[in-house]
Amino acid sequence: MIKIVKRDQPSKAIFFLTPVLAIFLTLVAGGLIFYILGFKPFEALKFFFIVPVADMYGFSELLLKATPLCLIAIGLSFCFKSNNWNIGAEGQLTFGAIVSGGVALLFYEQEGFYILPIVILAGAIGGMLYASIPAILKTYFNTNEILVSLMLVYVSKLILDYLVVGPWSNPEGFNFPETRQFSDSARLPLLFEGLRIHAGIFLALVAVVMSWFVFYKTYLGFQMKVSGFSLKTAKYAGYKGKKMIILVFLISGACAGLAGVGEITGPIGQLHREVSPDYGFTAIIVAFLGRLHPVGIIFASLVVAITYLGAETAQIFMQIPKYTGQVFQGMILFFLLASDYLLFFKFKFIGSKK
Amino acid sequence: MNTNLKISNVTKIYPGCVANDNVSLEFNSGKIYALLGENGAGKSTLVKILSGVIMPDEGKIYLNENNLKLNSPLDAKKNDIGMVFQHFNLFETLSVFENLIIDSDEQREGLREKIDSIMRKYNFSIDLDIPVLNLSAGQKQKVEIIRCLIRSPKVLIMDEPTSVLTEQETNELFLSLKKFSEEGILIIYITHKLKEVMELCDEVAVMRRGKLVSVSEIKNENIESLANKMVGQNLKTIKKKKEKTSSDQLINITNLNFISEDPFETNLNDINFSVNRGECLGIAGISGNGQSELFQVLSGEIISDKNSIEFNKNYIGDLNPQERREYLMAFSPEDRLEQAAIPQMAIFENVALNNFKSSNFFNNGLINENKIKEHSKKIISDFNVNTDNIELKSQFLSGGNLQKLIIGRELITSPDLLICFNPTWGLDVGAINYIHETLIKINEQNKSIILISTDTDELLKLSDKISVIHKGKLSKIMEADEVTSEKLGILMGGGN
Repeated sequence: MIKIVKRDQPSKAIFFLTPVLAIFLTLVAGGLIFYILGFKPFEALKFFFIVPVADMYGFSELLLKATPLCLIAIGLSFCFKSNNWNIGAEGQLTFGAIVSGGVALLFYEQEGFYILPIVILAGAIGGMLYASIPAILKTYFNTNEILVSLMLVYVSKLILDYLVVGPWSNPEGFNFPETRQFSDSARLPLLFEGLRIHAGIFLALVAVVMSWFVFYKTYLGFQMKVSGFSLKTAKYAGYKGKKMIILVFLISGACAGLAGVGEITGPIGQLHREVSPDYGFTAIIVAFLGRLHPVGIIFASLVVAITYLGAETAQIFMQIPKYTGQVFQGMILFFLLASDYLLFFKFKFIGSKK
Repeated sequence: MNTNLKISNVTKIYPGCVANDNVSLEFNSGKIYALLGENGAGKSTLVKILSGVIMPDEGKIYLNENNLKLNSPLDAKKNDIGMVFQHFNLFETLSVFENLIIDSDEQREGLREKIDSIMRKYNFSIDLDIPVLNLSAGQKQKVEIIRCLIRSPKVLIMDEPTSVLTEQETNELFLSLKKFSEEGILIIYITHKLKEVMELCDEVAVMRRGKLVSVSEIKNENIESLANKMVGQNLKTIKKKKEKTSSDQLINITNLNFISEDPFETNLNDINFSVNRGECLGIAGISGNGQSELFQVLSGEIISDKNSIEFNKNYIGDLNPQERREYLMAFSPEDRLEQAAIPQMAIFENVALNNFKSSNFFNNGLINENKIKEHSKKIISDFNVNTDNIELKSQFLSGGNLQKLIIGRELITSPDLLICFNPTWGLDVGAINYIHETLIKINEQNKSIILISTDTDELLKLSDKISVIHKGKLSKIMEADEVTSEKLGILMGGGN
């Protein structure tokens, strides 16, 4: 007989093993889905997870997709660790892209080393501005940040839509919903000839190191940790709760905004309707899969980035809709939450022996 | 149709506390029974057993000689036991009618007639089709009562029903209850308010520390005798020796008010008191009368008017807890696990929660772990915390050791004033004695204490002066020597 027993304390080993278990279960379930759809499961999984990263180009694409996911997830980890449920990173990304894109368009016929830093800064500020809306509404008007941040995603997408169709659309663009191409000075430099991987990856790596430092070495990180465990304790200790809420939203918004900059000044080079394939939402999965730990988030962003690539390969070679990628992302989160059960409970086998 | 409810040898043990210790009671219909006791006396546990919310470890319940097995609240309902809890269990956005039929298995249409006739019979007037959120507290309670009456209960249990009612609503409730009783419903009325017991009930059972202390008829009792039974005779054995305290005023509270937006919190009403150096002011009261709010106002978790708190000749009413600590105040909240400490964090991290500027835990925004650890080791040895591993998560400390750590953390900075709230709640005797000795020692060092506690014995043992808080108002401050537990009991129950 199997009995389920509550653990005395959450197991540390299980804490880091459950993400691995979740990924394994996702593969099994994914294989099963492919089988039901009439594909050979192993072949399909190979197309999904191995073929896309089998060459240098594929590897560069993997890093290209992982960069924004990692950056946003690092930002979100500040919010989530302190119990602030910002799920509107997609909107902050979009708004960051709008602001930095606008600045880049101002300089569209100019060259100069100073342009790129200004464009990057503008993106971070745009993301922060947009994240400050749910933060201020939460702290001063008691609104629910989940709702506000989520709704603002759609607002930002509509603003972007309006701009690329209307005032910012390319005058020589035959009414396509897109802006002019940015000048080379406003683009992030490519790292290798012929590959799309660009300098934005360094932004992500800097964010990783900074977040590790803040979380584990600073008073601010300590305060965030305490508030995450108990707001009552934070209040009793005398931490300035409201300021901290706004601060974590700003950090998170800046990271999402930077991810937006990376997209439009990296691979895209202009503003159009689809600046992000829902990186802002997928990064929520990345943050949790990485256990809100900077190093964990690096690995998680790579794993989840594969699902984007795999979906594209599978669409091309096997005519499977690319939305399968989202199914895989959903499954990872589902299995992660399910296996978190093991953190607090364990199975006890009661056999003949006592 | 006589109803007889018998509780026989019921025992319920929670870890570290015997909530009901071999309680036997018998009730007969036609009378209104009061179940009286302080917080933690075991009333609620007994009532939860009767309403099927929890199951007793030992003992049986008989209704008209039938042994009841109450495994869930539904079982209690099926066995004609109705219960109205202190906090309402209503869906605010649903209509009154929807709330009433929600747990009923009868036909909708028949029910409406039934509800109408119940309302006519007892003179209730409530519009059945408006959402519950538009009702007053008294009306909401009537909805709860109707919900019980639909099932024509034999027993109706009311848990502290007047805590949210106005004077007039209370009178109406009493009239209804008397009427129910005349109709043969057995009424059990749980309260700690002595006046209500005298006014409403026929018989009274008093509980203290899980035990049934007495069962008697109301006509043989008065408020004083009940208070005495409820609070218990005070054994002043280890009372601190009374020395002449200085007249040097340390903290002075004037016209302090707090109005809460939360309906479950208590407003504080014109609080005035002062504490001298070396003195311990005890604040007694039944929990839920504003103690938690008073603690938060004193600690700075709730900010008040700058001039309402004068500490050491500084006005500090608008400062937060961290800023107040710099003026040499220290705080030990009631809730060890949810507020005073974080169980998931290591001992030394919990020590860093009391961030005193001169202790240098954080330099230029960076954590100074060595300093914190050094400090933690000192607390552990100075305050007898039974561990030598400061990296241990504090959830592995016993309640007593955790409380020693918290008190130690607050005292090691040598504050002039310690404000503590139920510092020995739930601890074993050894830890209680240690904490008490520590508190007495602070006073001997000419430092002051404000002790907010629901434990009357503790207050009489440690305080120099005592005041009672009732409904957010403080009574006159009395010399502890001149106070009896009887008098405290009366004041705690709202008497004069």
